[in-house]
Amino acid sequence: MATPLETEPAAVQTAAGSGDDRPAYRGTLRYAVTKLGGALLSIGMVIVATFFLFRLIPGDPVIAYTRDVPLSPDQIDLLRKQMGLDKPLMQQFADFVLRTLQFDLGTSYEYKRPVADLIGERFGPTLLLAGVGLVIAVSLGLWQGTRAAWHHGGRLDRFSTGVSLVLWSVPTFWLGLLLLMVLGAGIGPIPGLFPTRGMESVDAPDGFGYVLDVAHHMVLPCLTLVAVVYAQYLLVMRSSLLDEIGQDYVTTARAKGLRDDMVRRRHAIPNALLPTVTLVFIHIGFVVGGAVSVETVYSWPGLGLLFYEAIKGPDFAVMQGTFMVVCVAVIIMNTLADVAYHVLDPRVRSA
Amino acid sequence: MGKWLARLTALGVALVLAAPVTAAQAADPATTGKKTVRIGSIQSVDSMNPFLAVRLIAGQLQRWTYMFLTAPDPKTLQPGPDLAESWESSEDGLTWTFKIRQAKWSDGQPVTAHDAAWTFNKIMTDDAAKTGNGPAVENFESVTATDDRTLVIKTKAPQASMLSNPIPIVPKHVWEKVGDMATFENETYPAVTNGAYIPIEHKKDNYVKLKANPDYWQGKPKIDELQVIFYENPEAAIAGLKKGDIDLIGRLAAPQFEAGAGDPNIVQWNTPGRRAAYLQINHGVTTSDDKPIGDGHPALKDLKVRQAIHHAIDKQALVDQVQNGLAVPANGSIVPPMYTDFFWEATGEDKISFDLAKANQILDEAGYKKGDDGVRTMPDGKRKLEMRFSIHTDTPHEDKLAQFLTGWFKEIGITLTTRKLDSNKFAEETGSTALFDIAISGWSVNPDPEEVLATHLCSRRPTPSGEGGGTESFYCDKQYEDLYQAQLKELDPTKRADLIKQMQQRLYTDAPVIAIYYPNNLELYRKDRITSITPIPSGKQGEGILYGGASGYPMITLDAPAVATGGSAQGGGSNTGMIIGIVAAAVVVLGAGGFLLSRRRKTTSDERE
Repeated sequence: MATPLETEPAAVQTAAGSGDDRPAYRGTLRYAVTKLGGALLSIGMVIVATFFLFRLIPGDPVIAYTRDVPLSPDQIDLLRKQMGLDKPLMQQFADFVLRTLQFDLGTSYEYKRPVADLIGERFGPTLLLAGVGLVIAVSLGLWQGTRAAWHHGGRLDRFSTGVSLVLWSVPTFWLGLLLLMVLGAGIGPIPGLFPTRGMESVDAPDGFGYVLDVAHHMVLPCLTLVAVVYAQYLLVMRSSLLDEIGQDYVTTARAKGLRDDMVRRRHAIPNALLPTVTLVFIHIGFVVGGAVSVETVYSWPGLGLLFYEAIKGPDFAVMQGTFMVVCVAVIIMNTLADVAYHVLDPRVRSA
Repeated sequence: MGKWLARLTALGVALVLAAPVTAAQAADPATTGKKTVRIGSIQSVDSMNPFLAVRLIAGQLQRWTYMFLTAPDPKTLQPGPDLAESWESSEDGLTWTFKIRQAKWSDGQPVTAHDAAWTFNKIMTDDAAKTGNGPAVENFESVTATDDRTLVIKTKAPQASMLSNPIPIVPKHVWEKVGDMATFENETYPAVTNGAYIPIEHKKDNYVKLKANPDYWQGKPKIDELQVIFYENPEAAIAGLKKGDIDLIGRLAAPQFEAGAGDPNIVQWNTPGRRAAYLQINHGVTTSDDKPIGDGHPALKDLKVRQAIHHAIDKQALVDQVQNGLAVPANGSIVPPMYTDFFWEATGEDKISFDLAKANQILDEAGYKKGDDGVRTMPDGKRKLEMRFSIHTDTPHEDKLAQFLTGWFKEIGITLTTRKLDSNKFAEETGSTALFDIAISGWSVNPDPEEVLATHLCSRRPTPSGEGGGTESFYCDKQYEDLYQAQLKELDPTKRADLIKQMQQRLYTDAPVIAIYYPNNLELYRKDRITSITPIPSGKQGEGILYGGASGYPMITLDAPAVATGGSAQGGGSNTGMIIGIVAAAVVVLGAGGFLLSRRRKTTSDERE
């Protein structure tokens, strides 16, 4: 797979400042392949861990699941068979690995449907909500973080740092409920402005009207998510930019008489952005898992809600499947973060 | 320039977000005069296939959309006609003959006895179809339709609960085409049903829409559309009710119910409940082959100790403090007083009242001596009366309950330590491995209490290999078993009720479980939206359950004002306010993005200078 790339003429000899005379991307490729191997190994370990982890959970899934349902012993045997729990452990394990490799995540106990289908259905809503939330949170956080660091110690800095520390410490669930009560249901003179649940109205119109309806439903959950997530970006950006501001090269740039704005944009920010890259990638990984709290408060039909419902069941197949998908997503995103870091930061490349 | 662009963007986005309101208004003329009632549900529908669905909400939907052989009479809760107009049973109680009603499926086909026979036979022969209601046909020998109007069910043993059969009858001509029942979702709409409503739309984890069935045998429901709207979070559901997004919500916990107070549009519907809460006691439990299992405290094998414990529980205090007064103290056993026909109440000598002195006296007399530390020891002096109380991790009211019990038990020389278990572990320890001393438990009771009575049978104990069979007490008592068998055969309702009362008396006096209270059924609805509704039972005081009972009757009697103009989807609040609010919030959320854009513009132009 990598061969054609390696034989290509090395047109990127100018790779900056690495002190490495090989083509930069070739190094990156090798790095990426190593990382990919690591990632595959991790995914394999996740599969193994998932199987045993969910068998370590105390309680017999059949008993737990049928807790309030009167069942005869025959019925229980039948369920056990349906869930594949009647086979020896090692055979169950082998079945599980084989099925997982074919992207078959088993069948939900409660919905009686393939877990992969359930996850597939809920993937879109989660991606929409968390994706939009993440984009807003990242831009807002980075921008405010930069301002705060640049005017370090000023009123804006103190204010925004204070606000973000509060938002960061506030439980998502609680903040979500608060927003729901005030802006959703309405309190006192404030009328209820936004839907209290879900992704769409029951009588949602078709076509463009539907898009608007979804947008209307998205405001509160998105606001909650942004409020909680953006603080991290603000704080990370602020502290890493503060580090950079103290560096000699910034002083030099300033001494050269460059405009403040220019120093910030061209010199300090690009370097300060590095730590946030990791944060963004890791967050994208978690986006797949869905913001469980937000989805639970607003009954948003995404992966987080699916997972929460599965815990209540308990629906082990769904829990197992969602757990695995989230782990894999985080691994993939971490790998991408490593590679991106490698591309962005010469220091990592030479190391 | 940049700033203006940003502002324009923000304004555009704000308008976009405000648009649903205008869209809803524009759509309204079409829906004028439609009567819609929206019910909030804190459970989502697991399956629209009645052979697979197990959740309560799915069971409710079936009650609203399909006919059953019989349905509880709304006044008395005794079995009344539904699909079957009338019925009779043979002398030996083994053969039941049902006369099937002349009715139509919603696709126009006639309803016949063959539909019912096919439904039952499917469950009896197809393992996948057993998931939802398998136990209900376990005792069936054969089900046949002798002609279009006659259904004959033969049972292996007499079954007095025959008339409370929980299985919805499906149309044979639609369902016989289904290949694999295990994966069939039954989501072709409108569905073919014969109940009061016809499902017309279902979005998973979101909502179900039902329209009134004009051909329903009790007459077309007064409302046109019934919607079931799913809320993951009860607090959000209450907010939705206050705002007018939903009209009715049931199955609430006390704090949620109290949140409905003070709103002039909301009725707090607090009525006797169908649930009993009780303590499960490890009375020296055994598996189905009579081998002892678990590690229960030996003192609990002594009936005297169990009775002393019963005396040490102030049930009224628990009702007031743990259930915020929204329950009835239990002077009976596992059947709540709502079921007047089957409810048994302890009187005279049987009755055990809160009396710490009496409890102490019983223990003193039985030889459990108090030590210097105030804790009693076993008569043989070997073990102190130190016991565990198992509760669930995530239920604050059980914590409270534990605190009260610990206090009273201390007074009678028993140390109680609370053990919090997650629901899995809890189910395992109190349901099959018996690693507990005293645990909290409870059960919702159907109009026919056979199911809850059966959870205390010998056969429900775990198998020798330790697998649970669905016991609520590990109880195994000859007298109780005999009474259970007798009530199965007793087809005279009064005599059967008497046998069932005797079973409860046995549970009360032998105390493998101790009932503590009967939580009320708590519901909230909007009186500006629901103008009339008949609860079940609607007998003497008319104070029954609206949603969540074992009958669809209240939903058939619903009436609501036709929505003339505005806000059918949004409800409540003023539209102007809503638009202003949306604009404001949109500016807050997305104006930031616009501002970023403007900043970017400005700095680049700065740079160019």
